[in-house]
Amino acid sequence: MTRNRINVPPLAAATLAALGVLAVWQLIASLGVLPAYAFAPPRAVGERLLQLARDGSLGASLAASLVRMAYGFTLAAAAGLFIGLAMGVSATVGAGLRSLFLGLQMLPSAAWVPLALLLFGLRDAAITFVIVMSATPAMAIATADGIAHIPPELLRAARTLGASRLAMGTRVVLPAALPGIVTGIKLGWTLGWHGVVSAELIRSSVGLGFLLHAGRELSDAAQVLGIMAVTVVVGLLLDRLLFAWLERWVRSRWGFAPEAALA
Amino acid sequence: MTAVTVAAAGRARPASPRVELRGVSKAFAGRRAPVEALGPLDLAVADGEFVVLVGPSGCGKTTLLNLVAGFEFPSAGEVLFDGRTVVGPGPDRVMIFQQPALFPWLNVLDNVAFPLLRDRTTSRRQRRARATEQLHRVHLDGFEDAFVHELSGGMKQRAALARALAAGPGVLLCDEPFGSLDALTRERLYAQLQELHGDTGATVLFVTHNTREAACLADRVIVLSARPARVKCVLEVGLPRPRDFYDPDVSRLAGRILAELRGELGESQGP
Repeated sequence: MTRNRINVPPLAAATLAALGVLAVWQLIASLGVLPAYAFAPPRAVGERLLQLARDGSLGASLAASLVRMAYGFTLAAAAGLFIGLAMGVSATVGAGLRSLFLGLQMLPSAAWVPLALLLFGLRDAAITFVIVMSATPAMAIATADGIAHIPPELLRAARTLGASRLAMGTRVVLPAALPGIVTGIKLGWTLGWHGVVSAELIRSSVGLGFLLHAGRELSDAAQVLGIMAVTVVVGLLLDRLLFAWLERWVRSRWGFAPEAALA
Repeated sequence: MTAVTVAAAGRARPASPRVELRGVSKAFAGRRAPVEALGPLDLAVADGEFVVLVGPSGCGKTTLLNLVAGFEFPSAGEVLFDGRTVVGPGPDRVMIFQQPALFPWLNVLDNVAFPLLRDRTTSRRQRRARATEQLHRVHLDGFEDAFVHELSGGMKQRAALARALAAGPGVLLCDEPFGSLDALTRERLYAQLQELHGDTGATVLFVTHNTREAACLADRVIVLSARPARVKCVLEVGLPRPRDFYDPDVSRLAGRILAELRGELGESQGP
């Protein structure tokens, strides 16, 4: 018996899936069961996005969200990496913070917003705070896991070859933990992106989250759906742009099989 | 055969040994009582000597190597290297493991150059030149830029050997380094290891449970008892080198070692 499996390239598969979503979307809109203020067909959404782009509000909001993300994510990555390394190196710190961070991860991003407003008022620092609190725990845990999963014989080899304490940290533990660290950075990017949009939803006068909120206020389904799509696409594109080379580097060195995703 | 002389257990001590164990024993904390893993035993390895430790599995061979490497410390007695008590791992006593333990984030050349980084006076170019030389020794020319996962099992272990030699160790500690390789690759590596030993005059302490491997490689075979390991008997091997894995003398010696091991396990020989 032979099994015929058609190998579809990942990019083609992703395009097919996107077209499928568009088709279902159009179908639901065409059925006409949903009122116009609650749902909009793809074409209306595209037109609304074009409008927003032309009057400059989309560009301004995108820029505002990205600047906030740049601050928040940089801070979160630095904190996550530093805390994760401390957790990985010290068993006491690791055990103590792991349960704390697992607990904090139970909080959705939006749950940090009220506290952020109380602490920082209406300043952008409130949004940065939400990003940091959303992304840091996951990045710290992933980094610590990356260190915990270093094969013990690598550490023993480095020690028997005469690596100093400093060299053990910088030349062995840090690079050996890279697969975990990269996982953490990507996870942190996703969670930080959740954080910035959640915070903007509740408090801001510019930003992707603000446009979402405004769309709901105006019963503008096209704007709501359009900004949701922009949030997804921009988040994914930046993930590829910023981290694809890191993933490729790790994969080529460690010899991991390429994942079946957009390469 | 006259090629093999049997020395009484615990004697046969070289004049100025590089590695010396004096009355060493090691116990690990067990659930109720401490578990005796090793000894008490005495052992000495002379400069340039190739000593193979053979013993039933789980007898504490690896523990013995870990003590010399400085990964573990004896419960009683003394472990000395060049007359000084071992206080921790170091590049003067490099250990090679069953897994090659190469660093995946470095290419092959940089793996071999890793121990050379300790010497701050060398330039990058000097380190690369010396690493290239070591790779040539283990016949890995042309694989300098390869990533670790691109090498076969035997090539990885050869790269690990080159990396260990680059550290310039006083003694090479081998913990069943060929245990996970296929037979053909292993036999080729026996020849290369003997050649290396001849060229470099390295002192080697080699652990295995493969009696033929022991017979093929050793200047001296030390047969250990079941746990806690003690020196059961010492076989001085006078066979000429390089030895072929299938040489009849090697086979005969392997049989002899096996007989000693069987005796240790309390199994009867013959039908």
